[in-house]
Amino acid sequence: MIRLKRAVLWACLMAIAALAVLSVYGAFLGADRAQTFFNSVPVAVFWGAFAVLLGAGIVAFGRLLWVPSLLLMHLGCILVVIGGMWGSQPGRDLQERFLGTERIAKGRMPILEGTAENRVAIADSNVTKELPFSIRLRKFRIEYYEPGDLYIYSRDGRRWKLPAEAGRSQTLGRDLGRVTIQRVFRNFRMDISGDERIALDAPGGSNPALEVAIERPDGSTARRYVFLQRAGHNNPSDPLALTYSQSVRDYISELEVVRDNEVVASKDIEVNHPLYYGGYHFYQHSYGQNQFGDYTILMVVADSGLRIVYSGYAMLMVGIVWHFWGRPLRSALRNRRSNERDENR
Amino acid sequence: MAIKYTLQGLLIYLTIAAFLAAFVSTIARRRTTGQWFFTLGFCISLASYVYRWIDGRHVPLQNLFEVFLCLGLVCYPISLLARRGLRIGGQWADMLIAAIVLFPAGFVFHAEQQHLPPALQSWLFVPHVAVYMLGYIFMAMAAARAAIQLATASQPISGKILPFEQATYELIALGFPLLTLGLILGSIWGKRAWGDYWGWDPKELWSLASWLVYAGYFHWRYMFGKKHPRLNSLWAIAGMAVIIITLLWVNLSRLFPGQHSYAT
Ligand code: HEM
Repeated sequence: MIRLKRAVLWACLMAIAALAVLSVYGAFLGADRAQTFFNSVPVAVFWGAFAVLLGAGIVAFGRLLWVPSLLLMHLGCILVVIGGMWGSQPGRDLQERFLGTERIAKGRMPILEGTAENRVAIADSNVTKELPFSIRLRKFRIEYYEPGDLYIYSRDGRRWKLPAEAGRSQTLGRDLGRVTIQRVFRNFRMDISGDERIALDAPGGSNPALEVAIERPDGSTARRYVFLQRAGHNNPSDPLALTYSQSVRDYISELEVVRDNEVVASKDIEVNHPLYYGGYHFYQHSYGQNQFGDYTILMVVADSGLRIVYSGYAMLMVGIVWHFWGRPLRSALRNRRSNERDENR
Repeated sequence: MAIKYTLQGLLIYLTIAAFLAAFVSTIARRRTTGQWFFTLGFCISLASYVYRWIDGRHVPLQNLFEVFLCLGLVCYPISLLARRGLRIGGQWADMLIAAIVLFPAGFVFHAEQQHLPPALQSWLFVPHVAVYMLGYIFMAMAAARAAIQLATASQPISGKILPFEQATYELIALGFPLLTLGLILGSIWGKRAWGDYWGWDPKELWSLASWLVYAGYFHWRYMFGKKHPRLNSLWAIAGMAVIIITLLWVNLSRLFPGQHSYAT
């Protein structure tokens, strides 16, 4: 028995070390190739052996069975591995073959604004499959942080950032002078009447721009307009380059689920807030524009084995916290109580 | 290397100075003065962190500058817990670690405020990163005790202090649940943001590797801990090495393009 125990523990150490080495190897491959690698048949065999080894550990070592924290953490690991294998591509293929479950595992859905779509382009293939319901994109929009930022670059590689608000200014040092934002336009327009050119903020439309004053070290002042939507031309002899940009706060797709010509659900989805319907999660993935208008690209994912993995996480976490934090905490409390008792005597 | 001529920079440099003063005083056997400087350094680092928080209007854990600021902040409370709660010696090492982790924040990473990108706008963002930072400091302090054990043949004579090998284990035992929680929270967040609870991203794989090194440490120590106590310490140091790679190399290196690369 002792021999068996030793063999199991040695195998455990080897398996843990091998998985650590494979993880480092996977990190060098990059996410896509690592995914293929960890789903390949030889590695799938390794995953299976790892789960069996954990099981063998529980059988061989009484303590792993009788000490609840140890049991929970090792069982948790088994569940994570099994859930992961169940949800992996080879696992799904096997389910399809033997259980006849045919679901879209993962794919992309481009949807044009104002239209409904039920076709899903399956990941890593040229196949398209259909959902039993459609998703309509009411509107796609991008929200930005207000205000935007003015970036100032010097020829020698220095960079400054200023919030795009009138009155903000930045000293650039003795050699470059000072930059001040004088006006912020929502819709910039230049009116030319005779010799005079007047910059104005016209109602309606959208052409955000900044009027910037550059006070040079020699005392002269130059005025420049920096546009949000256009990169602008920088004179090669100019010591400064300016750009105006806004950071994206969120990508939002306003979606409706349509079944038999009826809207059965709706949600404005954004990154971190997917829509869940009919066993599928719909994630904001990407967006674009073509001759017909704006479109969004949703990522469609059917969860498989997720509950097993999450149950494994819960058991692992409870087991580990109980084992490593619970026991010392209890013994510390016990010590304190006995100290108090000693003092009271 | 660039010096920060800002209030934020000044606070960081004062903290480093206080932590270094604490270290020097302690090894010069002026323990009380050392503790005093350590506490002072913590107070300044707290001020520095709160200042950054108010200035950026979000919990400062978004990029490497803020992450290192946080690492510098949590050293003192963890060291206090180790000393008072666990009877672990070698506080001078914690003072040095606290000064070292603030160095990149003070001199290497730029402190420019950035907006939170959509992927980071999740309630999981703060707990996921925060538990990792706490866990990393526990592991760094454990690795320091392991190095002391390897470097010195002598052990603390006073019965009041744990032997360094035991101290290493106690610190790793406290830090391991934090690494586990960080891994699990990251996985749940990945599911909510990108649709997969595991994306085989280089950062994920490196953090799995560091977690596995500690799992290996526990089993090794269970099997051979008594026979080869010095090798236990090598595991602890190897774990820290993998953590440093997880934290830094993945972000800085162009070798590993992935979904975590925004965090530079
Ligand atoms: C691969 C098969 C595995 C086997 C055969 C195995 C076996 C064991 C054994 C016999 C113990 C000692 C229990 C005791 O204190 O009496 C143990 C402890 C432990 N195992 Fe595993 N284990 C395996 C995998 C894992 C994995 C993947 C993890 C990851 C979380 C893990 C985490 C732990 C922890 C945290 C302890 C407690 C260590 C301590 O108290 O110092 N084990 N394991």
